[in-house]
Amino acid sequence: MSGKIGIDVGGTFTDFYYVGEEGNPYIHKTLSTPQDPSIAVVEGLREIAASLNPPMELEEFASSIDKIVHGTTVTTNATLTRNGAKSGLITTSGLRDALEMRRGIREEQYNNHYTNVVPLVPRYLRIGVGGRLDRNGNEIEPLDLDGVRDAIEQFRHQDVEAVSICLMNSFANPDHEKQVAEMVRRHMPQAYLTVSSELLPTIRFYPRVSTTALNSYIGPILSRYIDRLQDRLKDIGFGGVLLIMQSNGGVMAPTVARDSAALTLLSGPAAGPGAGLVHARVHGQNKCIVVDMGGTSFEAALVDNSPVMVTEGEIDRHRLALPMLGIHTIGAGGGSIGRIDEGGLLRMGPESAGASPGPVSYGKGGEKPTCTDANLVLGYLNPDFFAGGKMALDREAARRAVDEHIAKPLGMSIEEAAAGMYRVVCNNMAQGVREITIKRGFDPREFPMVVAGGAGPIHSCLIAAELEIPLQIVPRSSSILCAVGMLMSDLKHDFVRTFVSPMEEIDWNRLAAVVEGMIGEGRSLLTGELISADNQQFFIKFDCRYLKQYHEVSFTVSSEDFQNQDVAAITNAFHREHNRLYGYSLDDGKAVVEIINVRVQALGISDKPNYRETDCAGQSAVAALKGERSVYIPEDDAFDIVPVYDGHKMFHGNLVEGPAMIEEDTTAIFVSRDYACICDKLDSFTIYKKSREDLVASTLAASTTAEQGK
Amino acid sequence: MSKIDPILLSVYARTFKSITDEMSISLEKTARSPILCEAKDFVTGLYDAQGNMLEQTENLPILAFSLAPVCRYILDYFDGDINPGDVIFHNDVFSMGNQNNDVAVFRPIFFEDKLVAWSAVKGHQADIGGNVPGGYNPNAKEVWQEALRIPPVKVYDRGNFRKDVWDLIFANIRLEIVQHDMKAQMGACTVGDRRVVELLTKYGFDSFEAHKLALFDATKKMMEAEITSIPNGTYEGEGQIYYDGHNEGSEFTIRVKITVEEKRIKFDYSATDAQTDGFVNGTFTSSASATILTFLQMVNPDMPHNEGMVKPIEMIIPEGTVLNASYPKATTFGNHLCPPNADAIIRALAPVIPDRITAGWNNLLCSLTTGIDEEKGDKYVDIGFMGLKGGSGAMKGTDGYDHIGMIDASGGLLDQDYEMFEQQTPHRLVKHEYSEDSAGAGQWRGGLGVETKYIIGSHDTQFVTFGDGDIEPAFGLFGGKDGTLNSITLTYPDGKKHLPNNKDLITGVPKGTLYHQLAGGGGGYGDPQKRDRELLKQEIRNGIISAKAARRDYGLQEEEQ
Repeated sequence: MSGKIGIDVGGTFTDFYYVGEEGNPYIHKTLSTPQDPSIAVVEGLREIAASLNPPMELEEFASSIDKIVHGTTVTTNATLTRNGAKSGLITTSGLRDALEMRRGIREEQYNNHYTNVVPLVPRYLRIGVGGRLDRNGNEIEPLDLDGVRDAIEQFRHQDVEAVSICLMNSFANPDHEKQVAEMVRRHMPQAYLTVSSELLPTIRFYPRVSTTALNSYIGPILSRYIDRLQDRLKDIGFGGVLLIMQSNGGVMAPTVARDSAALTLLSGPAAGPGAGLVHARVHGQNKCIVVDMGGTSFEAALVDNSPVMVTEGEIDRHRLALPMLGIHTIGAGGGSIGRIDEGGLLRMGPESAGASPGPVSYGKGGEKPTCTDANLVLGYLNPDFFAGGKMALDREAARRAVDEHIAKPLGMSIEEAAAGMYRVVCNNMAQGVREITIKRGFDPREFPMVVAGGAGPIHSCLIAAELEIPLQIVPRSSSILCAVGMLMSDLKHDFVRTFVSPMEEIDWNRLAAVVEGMIGEGRSLLTGELISADNQQFFIKFDCRYLKQYHEVSFTVSSEDFQNQDVAAITNAFHREHNRLYGYSLDDGKAVVEIINVRVQALGISDKPNYRETDCAGQSAVAALKGERSVYIPEDDAFDIVPVYDGHKMFHGNLVEGPAMIEEDTTAIFVSRDYACICDKLDSFTIYKKSREDLVASTLAASTTAEQGK
Repeated sequence: MSKIDPILLSVYARTFKSITDEMSISLEKTARSPILCEAKDFVTGLYDAQGNMLEQTENLPILAFSLAPVCRYILDYFDGDINPGDVIFHNDVFSMGNQNNDVAVFRPIFFEDKLVAWSAVKGHQADIGGNVPGGYNPNAKEVWQEALRIPPVKVYDRGNFRKDVWDLIFANIRLEIVQHDMKAQMGACTVGDRRVVELLTKYGFDSFEAHKLALFDATKKMMEAEITSIPNGTYEGEGQIYYDGHNEGSEFTIRVKITVEEKRIKFDYSATDAQTDGFVNGTFTSSASATILTFLQMVNPDMPHNEGMVKPIEMIIPEGTVLNASYPKATTFGNHLCPPNADAIIRALAPVIPDRITAGWNNLLCSLTTGIDEEKGDKYVDIGFMGLKGGSGAMKGTDGYDHIGMIDASGGLLDQDYEMFEQQTPHRLVKHEYSEDSAGAGQWRGGLGVETKYIIGSHDTQFVTFGDGDIEPAFGLFGGKDGTLNSITLTYPDGKKHLPNNKDLITGVPKGTLYHQLAGGGGGYGDPQKRDRELLKQEIRNGIISAKAARRDYGLQEEEQ
């Protein structure tokens, strides 16, 4: 029993990445079952078992698996479709509207039709109670217990299923919240409860109340889903460990997920960056940009030793302040619709044809030209080999739509118009990559770009050209990169406490106690998740700012500097990070640096499958050549006949000079004129700028040696 | 001239926007004053070599037109003496500045030894000298009682830092923080410079110039199409200003005559009242911005903000009127003449485009508080954003936006976070909630106002109030009712109440005083009897409309409730 499976539930497909005893990876996709996603999970396991050689019974297969890592979007979907639990909020008297006001923002300032979001808790279930702490956490007025009792009575009367507690200044002293929590537990033992000072004990009221309310809103939904999933898995004989994917790129035990359901809210794409890093390391790089282009959206994330984290997330305009991967999403995908705006400019997206009706060429009723339709006109997609030939594409319909909606209004040929659509969508995606690199102080040219998603590798050369990125990597499993990443993820738990103090005046005894407390919590969680002590690691971070700044900068503090109470070294680390992010620092010795929060990340190193490295098959890709066709070459702004290779027949060391097409069942790769592609030892298609052979030197050397040995 | 590639045109448009956004993020994250990093009272922009707007990210709409006129003025002023490495500061309201506190940084961008563009950032500074910290001096009669004037001045000349000039400026400004914030603005301009040079390196100067003009033209066509959809004619409207800070009971009227003729629209303010004795006066740039932002809310919001957008719009704002004061009048209140200006425009166009206008918005009434935080041993300044934000006017099909704040910001100005408010001031927040029955009734109701209460935590506290909306509420339209009024009340520890004027300076307010502010709701639209009854019942349940008001204003019968 040592099989491991990553299972990623998406809107259309549920992806499986299975690594058995021998270490051969197995990729599988099955249709998702949105009404109960756990049905597709079991169905997919059954299909995998049946297709093994020799085939296995489901139960036999399930009992051979020791680990399932599961990524779910049930919480995301419940939030987006407003199908969360009926919940109530107990908060400080006089401040019950903060959740709905969202600090009074209207995101679209010139649009008077733009309305506020419907609050997660309706006003009549947001109840203020008396009692008050001052800014230092000292009690000014005792908690009004009668008020709490009345609120609970009201909740019971209204059949409230989940309760949130968030009181003013509770980051400095959780005492009042604890008292309320105790009463709620006593009188509403069945209710799902979220206490702000447990979930997110940091300063700033609105982010905390919003995150707390989100957790209660989706907590019961996730709990029920995990129950169903565990029941189903138990029924088929699975006796291994089940882990749930989090938005911070780590995984957690189901018990942790039940309490802190909000940790899964943006977990959909969170496994990709970690998987990307594995592929970048093959080329000696410990960092990468990971992009994923699907049907409706394009996601970009950055990994620098580890995936870059943020705490400024939101979902459907609700603030979510838990640490999560800094993944930037824009509305650009295969289904993005092209149109000419009132001023005559070509625009691509964010409107999308989605999966239904989908692009015009799907023949399912779509009428507006999409990115996929343009790709078909440009020759990047093979109408007879889409999804491995399972679906025929209507090229004539795509041409007609591009002609009518884009070419004619702009006075261009169909091909010119399609090329324009392609260039505009690539430019949009390049701007998306800028968001996670340049705007956060990173130079994209120094990062290899790992490309995922079915539609990604058709566009990646032009995106790379735009940003001068010399190296792209398309993993063999690029269409299910997140499922792969789940198996590569470690257990990860983030803790934070507000600790306001000038750097020079830290009370180290108190700070050490705070940090020890968080490490203790992490240790007990990880131990509960069966992680042995030598596989537990703890990292300390400070959120600091220059005195009177409003935004903090989060940076890692080495345990050595922390033990030594080395204020100078820690302060320098802050200056460096501030300088990297914002182009300047005030390290003249005069500027006062202030700590606001202290964080601990507890990492439990998980048991991962090994990637199998393949033997080098030599340089020639002739055996994979399956034909030729005319495609658009952006460097020439013209069409040319290029060779088409069967990606399934390309192996480690095989080299293809651009321009060329490489086709696989789930992915089409376009290698543009200025690029070449070589398969690396994980069989990834590694695309490098011609003249930058140095970036793939070891792969090239192995390939040349193998070729000579043939 | 380079040939126009329609695709490249889209790429330029997207890239310009991405650059000004990037400049904006840079400043937001590095600035120190809350008015910059929390309230985002700043604008970032790119301009061509002639000062034409290429793109802007104005975080507050009132800054929509606040940089381009200055850019042109600077070009004239230096008359060719613009060199690589120059950095220019400017705030002077008598040379196209919009408000004394809004100090701009302009950085010329050179490519192949030629001036090709400008990057610029204008932000509201926490202090700008003058008689009163923070710049709002309701007693001012001349500009010198308000601020230090900075006509165009080079703080870097060909890359050389001019320490003497820098020191002269900051010797006249109270807070050191302003120096840091101006450095942060210069940083954001550098970001813009770098990106524009990158773009030109890629496509070349000729392509840049040709596509820039084509982009202006495309946007101009969008705006012209919007204007064409308004019936030709001349329409008139008025908005009222109450109290100039000096003459009790004084009132001033803004009068606009809007002429629509095919593709062009003209806003003529010639009949507007003369300038006031106090600081209740506009500048050309602030008044023009107000006009543009109000009009932009009536057209397709998805339009690039460049020169083409403003080309079809003509504005006549004669000098000497309350909207364009002549030298050396005090003008700090000028941005806040936007609400009555918007009222005038809305009233003029309501009969013509009833589906595209809102009812009246709540006008701002703000307080600026200063004192000593004894526990921290430090001075604090607080601008009461959370208290001032009332509701917007309703429009056909859409209720007003609750607690959005005045139209000049349209929801861009954020409340202080409650816990940060208590960290940064010695006050204790008692209440900040929607104010029941504040929304103007209507088939579509106005946005809700808010009620704010806090207990003053410093001795000898100083308040400046500035604003309006305490005499005339936000107006309803087409049968919709008015919203509620603004008010500020101070209740001293001895129980005595003090109601400050809407432009006032109050000193020596003792610790323990209760501050109480009501920001009113927006005006309603359409007959309240026609409001959706289910919605109304929910609103009663949620305590934002009382059962009594539902009966009185909406005619909801008791048996229905």
